[in-house]
Amino acid sequence: MLKKVFSWVDERFPLDEMIKHELTEYPVPRNLNYMWSFGFLAMFVLVVQLLSGIFLAMHYKADVNMAFDSIQHIMRDVNYGWLIRYLHSTGASAFFAVIFIHIGRTLYYGSYRRPRELLWWTGLVLLLLLMATAFMGYLLPWGQMSFWGAQVITALFGVTPFIGEEVVIWLRGDFVVGDATLTRFFALHYLFPFIITVAVAIHLVALHWVKSSNPSGITLHAKDNIPFHPYFTIKDLFGLGVFLIIFFGFVFFSPEFWIMPENNVPADPMVTPPHIVPEWYFLPFYAILRSIPDPMGGVVAMAMSILIFLAMPWLDRSNVPGGAKFRPGYRVMIYVWFLDLMLLGYVGAQAPEGIFILLGRIATFIYFGLFLLLPFISRREERRSREEGLPREAERLIREEQEELLRSEHYLRRENDEKELRDIRKRLEDES
Amino acid sequence: MRKLLVLLSAVAMSVVAQGAMASAAGALKMVEIDNSEQARQRGVEIVVSTCMMCHSLKYIKFSDLTEIGMTKEQINNLLEDQDINDRMMSLTPVEVRKESYGKVPPDLSVMAIARKKGPQHIYTLLTDYYYNEEEETDNHLFPGIKMPDALAYADAESDEERAEIEAQAHDVASFLVWAADPSAESRRTIGTYVIIYLIILTALLYLLKRRIWGKIH
Amino acid sequence: MAIDKDLDSPDRRDFLGKVTTAVGAVGVAGACIPFVSSMNPSKDVKAKSTSIVDLASIPKGKTHTIEWQGKPVFVTHRSDETIADMQDASTEIDPQTDTDRIQKPEWLVVVGLCTHLGCVPNRTQEGWSCPCHGSLYDNSGRVVRGPAPNNLIVPHYEFIDEKTIIVGQKV
Repeated sequence: MLKKVFSWVDERFPLDEMIKHELTEYPVPRNLNYMWSFGFLAMFVLVVQLLSGIFLAMHYKADVNMAFDSIQHIMRDVNYGWLIRYLHSTGASAFFAVIFIHIGRTLYYGSYRRPRELLWWTGLVLLLLLMATAFMGYLLPWGQMSFWGAQVITALFGVTPFIGEEVVIWLRGDFVVGDATLTRFFALHYLFPFIITVAVAIHLVALHWVKSSNPSGITLHAKDNIPFHPYFTIKDLFGLGVFLIIFFGFVFFSPEFWIMPENNVPADPMVTPPHIVPEWYFLPFYAILRSIPDPMGGVVAMAMSILIFLAMPWLDRSNVPGGAKFRPGYRVMIYVWFLDLMLLGYVGAQAPEGIFILLGRIATFIYFGLFLLLPFISRREERRSREEGLPREAERLIREEQEELLRSEHYLRRENDEKELRDIRKRLEDES
Repeated sequence: MRKLLVLLSAVAMSVVAQGAMASAAGALKMVEIDNSEQARQRGVEIVVSTCMMCHSLKYIKFSDLTEIGMTKEQINNLLEDQDINDRMMSLTPVEVRKESYGKVPPDLSVMAIARKKGPQHIYTLLTDYYYNEEEETDNHLFPGIKMPDALAYADAESDEERAEIEAQAHDVASFLVWAADPSAESRRTIGTYVIIYLIILTALLYLLKRRIWGKIH
Repeated sequence: MAIDKDLDSPDRRDFLGKVTTAVGAVGVAGACIPFVSSMNPSKDVKAKSTSIVDLASIPKGKTHTIEWQGKPVFVTHRSDETIADMQDASTEIDPQTDTDRIQKPEWLVVVGLCTHLGCVPNRTQEGWSCPCHGSLYDNSGRVVRGPAPNNLIVPHYEFIDEKTIIVGQKV
C-alpha cells in the first residue's frame, strides 16, 4: 500500500530521488570525527527554539506594562509553561555553544578554504542573523538587563556619521528603548528564525555541491566515502543523545545558570544596574567594543571582529592543503586564538577599570594581530614545508586527491583548472 | 586534545559569565534553604503579617498557598480584608509607602532569584541590622538601607533572641525561594526521569553505532 | 560505495535497531505532551471555570445575571405561581418537562445566550425575549417561538448548601 503511494508521488515529485541523493546515499568522507556533528546539532537546536518560541508566543504579551507579567504567567499558570520557557532560555545558550564549536571546527580544519568559501560566507551570514535574533529576543522579558542591554547597544548606532542620532531614534521608534522598541523587536524576533531557516537551506545547498571536508583537510579518494545513511545518521543521533543529556541537565536542574539574576528585576528606565553585562556569547565582542577608547572606533572594531572572518580564505595563503593537521604553524595560531577568545570573554564580563582595560586591549590586539599575521605565517609555513616536504600521509592524500580531480566532473569548473589538470596529469605521468 | 580545549573554553566562558556578576554585597551569611512545607508555612505567616506591611507579592495568589500544604482554613486565618482569590498585595496604599521610603518597596515574588545567591542575600539582609553611632538602624549588607529592621534583629539582646530571629529569617527565605519558582520541585522530578531515559536511549544509540560502524573498520 | 550487507548479522542488528527506534519514538511522543498541554486552559483560566452564586441575595420573583466562563447565566428565584404554570405547560420546538430542567423548583439556572446565534435575551414577564431575531422563551427557559432551535442551556451546577450554588465544573 505504502509502495503504491510512493510510486504515485514519484511520478510527480522527485521526493524519493532527493532523499536518496541528498540524504541516504549522500557521500561522506569516512574519517569524519564528532566535530562534524555540530552542524546537525545546530539544526536541532534551531527546531527546539522555533517550537518553544512559537508556543511561548501563544502566551507572551509584547507590551511594556504586560511583558514581565506575561513571563510570570507562563512560568506559573500555563501548563508546562516553565518547561517551554526554560527550553527557550537554555536553548539560546546551547545554540551559541554549538555554533561556536562548529565555527571552531571550520577554522581548525581549514574547511573554509577553496572550494568552500561560499559555504563559509553563508555560515557567517547565519551567525550574524543568529546574533541579531538573540539580541532582539533578549529584550522581550523586559528585565533590567534586557532593557539596559538594548539601550546600550541601540545607542551604539549613534556613531553613524551625520545621521547617527536619527538612526538610533529610528531603530528604537522612540527617544529611548520603549514600547515601540519592544513591539518591533518581538515582530522581528519572530520573523528572523524563518529567515535563518531559509539561510540554512542555502547553506546546505552549498555544502552538498562541494561536499564535506574532513579532518585531513585533503579531499579523499571517492572509494573512501561512505553513504550518509546508516553511518552518519546513527553517529549524529548518538552525538545528539550526548548533547541532550547535557542540555536537559541544564533545563531541568540548572536553568537559572543561564539567566542573570538582574533580569528578574522588572525594567526600570530610571535606574541603571551597577553592572551591565551581555549574555556570555556576546562577551568577547563586548570586550573588543570597550577596548577602543573612541566610540566609533569601538563599534568598527566590534563589527570588524566578525566581518574579518569573511576574508579567511584569502588571508590563508598557504598551498598546503587542509587545516591544522599537517600545518603546525597554523595549529599554534588557532590555539592562541581560542585562548585569546576566552580571555576576551573574561574581560568582557568585568567592569572596564583597572587592569582589565589593559588586558582587553592586549587581547583585542592579539585577536586582530593573528588575522593580519596569517598571510605571512601561512606563506612562511608553506615555504618551509616545500623545503622539508610534507608528511608521507599528506603526500599520499594529495596524490589521491589529484587523481580524483582528473576523474571528477564538477570538482573544478573554471578554465584555469584545465591548465592545472594538465599539470597534474603531466606530473603524475612523470612520476610513474 | 582539541575536544578538551573546546570543552574547557565552553565551561570557562560560562563560569566566567557567572562569576563576573559578583555583586558588591558584603559577606553573605550561609543558610541552608529548607524545602519543607512547614518552613514555608512559617515563612509565609511572617511575610503576610510583617513584610506585607510594605511589600507585595503580586505574582502569588493566596489560593496558591495550597501548594505548600495549607488548607483553606489556614489560609483564611492569614487574611485580614483580603479574599482568598486575591493576589498577595500590601494593604498599605502605594503613596504612603512611597512617601515613607522614597520609592515603592520592591515586590518580593521573585526576590529569591533576583539577587545573586538570593536566599542567602535575603537571610543576611534580615539579620544584618545593627544600631549605628546615630542610634539609627543600619545594615551591614546594605549600608544606608531605607528598610526598617523588620524582624527587630538589632533589638535582640541575647543569643537566644538572635537565634529565634535567625530562624524566622530562614523561614522567610525558604518561603520566598518557593514563591520565586513554585515549579522547581516538579521540574527536578520530571528532570530525573528525562535524564534516566536519555542515558538509556544514548546507550542504545551507542551500541547501534558501534554495530553499524563495526562492519567497515 | 557498495557496502557488503552480508557481513553483519541482520537479525541481531534489526532487533537493536527496532528497540532503539521504539525507545526513541516514546521520547518523541513524550516530548509532544508539554507543548500540547500548554495550549489547554492555564491555571488562571481554570480558576474561572466555576462561579459561586449566593442565592440569599435573590428575592422571590427576581432574576440575577451572573458571569460564568465569560458567559451570562440567569439565576431566577421563581414564585410558586410560576412554578405551577411551568409544570403544567409544554412546548413544541424543543420538548422538555420543567422538572427535567431544575433541581429545586424555585431556582432556575440557565445560560443567558439565545440558542439561535448567541445574543443575550431580555427578561420579560413570561420568560425571556431575544432582541436580535425575536425568539421567545418561557419561565423554564424553554423556547416558545423561534428562530431559536433549542431551549436555553442548563449548565452543570450544584447546591453547596441551601443558599449557595456553584455553576460549572472544575476543569
